[in-house]
Amino acid sequence: MPHKPPTQEELEKRKIVGVNFETVTDVSSTDFPGHYPGEDHAWDIERFKKGFSVEFHQNDPYEASFSLIGCDASIANAFRRIMIADVPTLAIENVFIWNNTSVIQDEVLAHRLGLIPFTGGREGLHEFLKWFEKPAEGEQPNCTDYNTVELSLDIKCEDNDDADSKETDPTKLYHHAHVYAKDIVFKPIGRQEQYFSGENIIRPVNPDILIAKLRPGQQISLTMHMHKGVGSDHAKFSPVATASYRIMPTITITQPILGRDAEKFQKCFPKGVIGLEKVTAKEAAQKGSGYRGHEGELKAVVVDPKRDTVSREVLRHEEFKDKVKLGRRRDHFIYLVESTGQWESDAIFLESVSHLKAKAKSLEQQLVNMVR
Amino acid sequence: MSGQDYEAPSGAFSQRDDATAGSGAMIYRCGDCAVRVPLEKGAPIRCQKCGARVLYKERTKRMVQFEAR
Ligand SMILES: [Zn+2]
Repeated sequence: MPHKPPTQEELEKRKIVGVNFETVTDVSSTDFPGHYPGEDHAWDIERFKKGFSVEFHQNDPYEASFSLIGCDASIANAFRRIMIADVPTLAIENVFIWNNTSVIQDEVLAHRLGLIPFTGGREGLHEFLKWFEKPAEGEQPNCTDYNTVELSLDIKCEDNDDADSKETDPTKLYHHAHVYAKDIVFKPIGRQEQYFSGENIIRPVNPDILIAKLRPGQQISLTMHMHKGVGSDHAKFSPVATASYRIMPTITITQPILGRDAEKFQKCFPKGVIGLEKVTAKEAAQKGSGYRGHEGELKAVVVDPKRDTVSREVLRHEEFKDKVKLGRRRDHFIYLVESTGQWESDAIFLESVSHLKAKAKSLEQQLVNMVR
Repeated sequence: MSGQDYEAPSGAFSQRDDATAGSGAMIYRCGDCAVRVPLEKGAPIRCQKCGARVLYKERTKRMVQFEAR
């Protein structure tokens, strides 16, 4: 029997994961060689280029949302994992405590300091600063201006003599009752001055992070060393608050939903997913469309399936069960990347792409060495 | 910058305060009134101001290094 090439409709259907009342169908992708007899599904760069696209929904420094359309889940997930665990940032790594008479213990204080996100001049952070080599046991660390950034925190709580006698607020009664991230001072060394001065100074992204609370007589005096690191070593090095993706939901209305039903249908989805439109005269005149004699009534239409959470609420209602088909597009990934401030959100994604490329190149080299 | 700056001071460490150095007195803090209490060896453990018998040793003046993780 000669093989019939799949229709466009069939090709689209293959990309859809079925979301039913209690089950999920067609979870795995099938576009690999040997699955469909007589069809060539060998991976091809030209075919990939033709079917692939990127679409930005939002692009702010601290939050970016975009879609990768036409790529496999393995690639999409690789980007996500690289963004979280492999894109380097600068974070506090060593804390040298000279004095700490506050109620917060030294090790807890050091841990808190490590988690504070810092930012500074992009060129200095990404180009000038290099990796810090951890010294071997018993060796002296090699701290220089291109691999270590020094910070200090020197603060003492004292009585505020100008405070009202009836005052009960500790922040008004005492000076420095609260220690904030903005109290940390950057100490430039060597060439750091030219990369991290003025608006490029190394500083906490959020100056109002509370580090400790003090009472009169208590003080904290410490210096800190920052190094570059990656999220796979410790979460404090991760450049993202989170990087995640969702798979594009699809909603297909198979039979007309009209009037009060349409309003109820709309309420089964998050805001903005379903819209209400008037049935046009043309639709009402069409035979077998289901709109006959309903001109001017409201009908439910899908406006923005991207906003759907796929709660399946609609399938719980008897009247909608057979009028709608829910699904997800397996090759459409909607990313949400939230930067912690050291990188622009979109730059984190671009960096993850070049990381994956570098990983593939090094794997290729190892394969070449293997067969040699 | 060098890591050597942060090497802990070597040799025997003394908790004696500058003012009382040589006299053999150790500085403590009163648990009740927080006053500084210098104590000689063998002296009764007692605050000289309020008479409280709970005294606290002062924190080390040595640098302590921690990993921020
Ligand atoms: Zn006392």
